[in-house]
Amino acid sequence: MHYEIVLWLALLVPFVIGLICTILPSVRIALGAMCCCVFGTCVAGLAVIWHVFQHGAVFTVSNWLFLDGLSAYHYLVMLLIYCLSSAYAWVYFGEELRQGHFTRRQARLFSGLWCESFAAMSLVLFSNNLGVMWVGLEATTLITAFLICIHVSRESMEAMWKYIVICSVGIAFAFMGTLLVAASARGIVSQDALLWTILRDNAARLDPKLMKAAFIFLLVGYGTKAGLAPMHSWLPDAHSKAPAPVSAIFSGFMLNAALYCIMRYIPITESATGGTGWALHLLTGFGLLSIVVAAVFILFQKDLKRLLAYHSVEHLGIIALGLGLGGLGTFAALFHTLNHSLCKSLSFFAAGRLGQMFGSYDMEKMAGSFRASPLWGAGIFGSILALIGIAPFALFMSELQLVKAAVDSSSMAALILFLVGSGVVFVGALQHAIPLAWGRPKGMLKPLRFTALEALIVVIPLALLLVLGMWMPESLSAALKNASGIVQSTLPAEVVVFSGYTP
Amino acid sequence: MTPVIDTTMMLLILSNMALLGLSRLRSCIAVASFQGMLLGLFTVFAHMQALTLRILLIAATSFILKGFVFPRLLRRSIREASTQNEMEPYVGYSMSVMAGMGMLGAALWLGSKLPLNPAAGMDFVVPTGLTTFFTGLFLIVARKNALTQCLGYIILENGIYAIGVISVVEIPALVELGILLDAFVAVLVMGVAIYHINREFDHIDTDQLDTLKG
Repeated sequence: MHYEIVLWLALLVPFVIGLICTILPSVRIALGAMCCCVFGTCVAGLAVIWHVFQHGAVFTVSNWLFLDGLSAYHYLVMLLIYCLSSAYAWVYFGEELRQGHFTRRQARLFSGLWCESFAAMSLVLFSNNLGVMWVGLEATTLITAFLICIHVSRESMEAMWKYIVICSVGIAFAFMGTLLVAASARGIVSQDALLWTILRDNAARLDPKLMKAAFIFLLVGYGTKAGLAPMHSWLPDAHSKAPAPVSAIFSGFMLNAALYCIMRYIPITESATGGTGWALHLLTGFGLLSIVVAAVFILFQKDLKRLLAYHSVEHLGIIALGLGLGGLGTFAALFHTLNHSLCKSLSFFAAGRLGQMFGSYDMEKMAGSFRASPLWGAGIFGSILALIGIAPFALFMSELQLVKAAVDSSSMAALILFLVGSGVVFVGALQHAIPLAWGRPKGMLKPLRFTALEALIVVIPLALLLVLGMWMPESLSAALKNASGIVQSTLPAEVVVFSGYTP
Repeated sequence: MTPVIDTTMMLLILSNMALLGLSRLRSCIAVASFQGMLLGLFTVFAHMQALTLRILLIAATSFILKGFVFPRLLRRSIREASTQNEMEPYVGYSMSVMAGMGMLGAALWLGSKLPLNPAAGMDFVVPTGLTTFFTGLFLIVARKNALTQCLGYIILENGIYAIGVISVVEIPALVELGILLDAFVAVLVMGVAIYHINREFDHIDTDQLDTLKG
């Protein structure tokens, strides 16, 4: 099988179907075409991911496009989130259609932009050329901007404007960083100065001063898109005002795509600066700041989707912290990426359906959601429990590995800040979650009936989080080790083993 | 070519100061258009000794996009939003020009620290590019009008472009054109967003987009 062709197809098929979606005759056909596109691409994508995990990287177009262990792992997460979110979009907009709030024009726009964003995020992951990777990420910003305001309102327009301006400026910073990386290779790499594989092979010879300047620009730029504090101000607005399926892909994968771009520069910067841990210290700082800032804001939230958005800031901070700690921390960070994406998309799914039922995202008005809908009430409560790191969910395991990494590297200050931040989040989120699930409803509620598809959308992520919290398949463990080995120059020194759990 | 390059850079800096001091949107757009054309020409001047088809293609695309297409899009947005002037800016115009002087000083210092090693006669390009970058950032932060913020993004991108022209010659044309295309789409998307904001709010004052907090 020619896996290079699969890479091409994974880019072109969503791109073409996205264009076709804009002219389809009905809401259901447009949404159906979108779902077929995502699930069809997923089948082909899984084949190439499996090949990469078994036999190594696939290259094509003069090495401009590739899929190695790190990008294949992220692509796997992306496919999982897009499949779940597409199925959920079918349910979510089906309800809006029934209520007369979703028109054919909106369906065409939504499904078209959804497929295009799928293609753009795939381009980010497939790019070996760092310039093309930048183009892909900027494209995701521009494409997804209008997904926020599918339902035009004053709030959604405001959120969209903040998103475009802040993220575009952030991405411009990343562009400056990309140019500085290319400039640091001047005279060393004669051609293909932006190919990641070539830069990585020559990283020790790059100009350290320029690489430091470049990494600062890249971290601030891509960090803005990843929602790291203090550049996160667009995130709560965009996440809370976008329709729930969009919030799910924003939080479930788009933020990770931006962090993935930063991951690509870690080994290059570390090698160029003599392996002093300079880049890792910066990442640790941003990670800790994100955890602390999110913890403070989580305490005072009233809006459910804003609460979940601040959880995204916290968890992206945890991933950045893991990357900054290195060693087992990198392994934990990558594992946390999968766990957070699954959990956060589920929480936005549940928030969206409950929001449709209550007509509001105000947590006081949404009290007693278990009674209103046992399925989605369990979804929101279970996902919040998982988000705050309760055992035996997988997020508990990845956070425990992160604690072990901090102890191993004697980063006591980081460990204390992480534990304090997580403790505050734990208390703050529980204080919101208990009344949300078990509180006395504000009015008479007619229990919401659910379909088998809805049950699957809730059960699959929760089951995966539970299983991964107790047992990690050998193939996933190997994939994670391979991916973390790419982020750092060596494989993690040791992997923590708890009884009955072998990562 | 040194005098030509230096003159181009001086004109770029003067255009930055003009952008900081002007309140009429049409004048700002005219200055940004001038800056775009200047950058297109600068691409050719900077590589005069080894002019290739790739350089010419990038220079021409940049000249047309930044000099004509972007200004046209912005003028259309002005017409649709029926706005002529910047609203009460967060920082006054005189103070903005003073800040511009400060940014020039900071750019000269930072330019001397960055070992970009430009070719002979190009020493002033990096500080000028950085000044332009800072000017764009300043316009986004210190102005309230959504159109001026969009203009700020174009200026910021101009600054990065100027530095890219002299510090990186190995980037393939396809990537550079992709980047220019992205900038074009960004301006287009911002223009559409401004149109929708104006329709929804009857103004494009970003200071009043303050519903979402906390």
